[in-house]
Amino acid sequence: MKQTPDRTISNMEGDSALPRKSGELVFHDAWERRAFALAVVLCEQGHYQWDEFRDHLIAEIGAADAAKAESPDTSFPGYYEHWLASFEKVLIEKGICTPDQLPSKTTK
Amino acid sequence: MSSDHSHGNSAHDAPPNPYLEKQASPEQTEVLEKRVQALESLLVAKGLVTSETLDKLVETYENDLGPTNGAKVIAKAWVDPAYKERLLKDATAAIGELGFSGLQGEHMVVVENTPDTHNMVVCTLCSCYPWPVLGLPPAWFKDAAYRSRSVVDPRGVLRDFGLELDKSTAVKVWDSSAEIRYMVLPERPAGTEGMSEEELTALVSRDSMIGVTKVGSPTA
Repeated sequence: MKQTPDRTISNMEGDSALPRKSGELVFHDAWERRAFALAVVLCEQGHYQWDEFRDHLIAEIGAADAAKAESPDTSFPGYYEHWLASFEKVLIEKGICTPDQLPSKTTK
Repeated sequence: MSSDHSHGNSAHDAPPNPYLEKQASPEQTEVLEKRVQALESLLVAKGLVTSETLDKLVETYENDLGPTNGAKVIAKAWVDPAYKERLLKDATAAIGELGFSGLQGEHMVVVENTPDTHNMVVCTLCSCYPWPVLGLPPAWFKDAAYRSRSVVDPRGVLRDFGLELDKSTAVKVWDSSAEIRYMVLPERPAGTEGMSEEELTALVSRDSMIGVTKVGSPTA
């Protein structure tokens, strides 16, 4: 594993930028940390390019922003929920998992 | 990590980014915890990851000091008077020229140290910090003692950092906020006349850009 962060991940800008407060990464719960790590580790191992993951992330966030504009009072998923959804998509896309293996199918 | 910030919604922290606040309800959080746990187990079972790798990775990203973008900005200002002028006039734009951005709505202001005036930066309310140029804030920057003492006894604070200023040098303290993040343009040290921009970049320390030290002369 790399000893230093990948700048293309660490320094993402715009809508997909990692939530930070005074430079520090913001994680609200343990699962957000794990989801972050899973997506980055599998990318480091070469299972996909970061851009392939990021494109999903941007699309997820964009769709949520559009929905938010429609009905601003409803609550919407947080950053790492979009992250998680993007990760599952890329896992299927790359044939790392089959759709029926994904936990989201069984816990919903 | 941020639970000690009792002033979460003050102007200093006002998040332009909606994702800084937790969105999921406790029930949703439980579902998400399980979902990620199951996903992790699945990938561990496939032999793709280990739990230790995941822990280490997050640490690497959380302790990242960030790039030394600020030093490049300072070195360029030292060698390029036109750039320096733009930097002092509109720091956000001038820093952007070098490809550094990522502040979310905050403006950068760069203040110049001269033989007459020494500038230092603090965030009295929390730890507002221009991280795209300076990386993560040092622990002392967030320390209550630094935050309060910088205002009442800046010379004393500077002395603690090993910087004794002439009585004739005025000290200005700049309080960063959600809207404005300050960075100090330190004086170019003597004996650096022949140095390249790259060599100068290596000289500029983080603390000198916060204004608690000067940039030392290169020792031959």
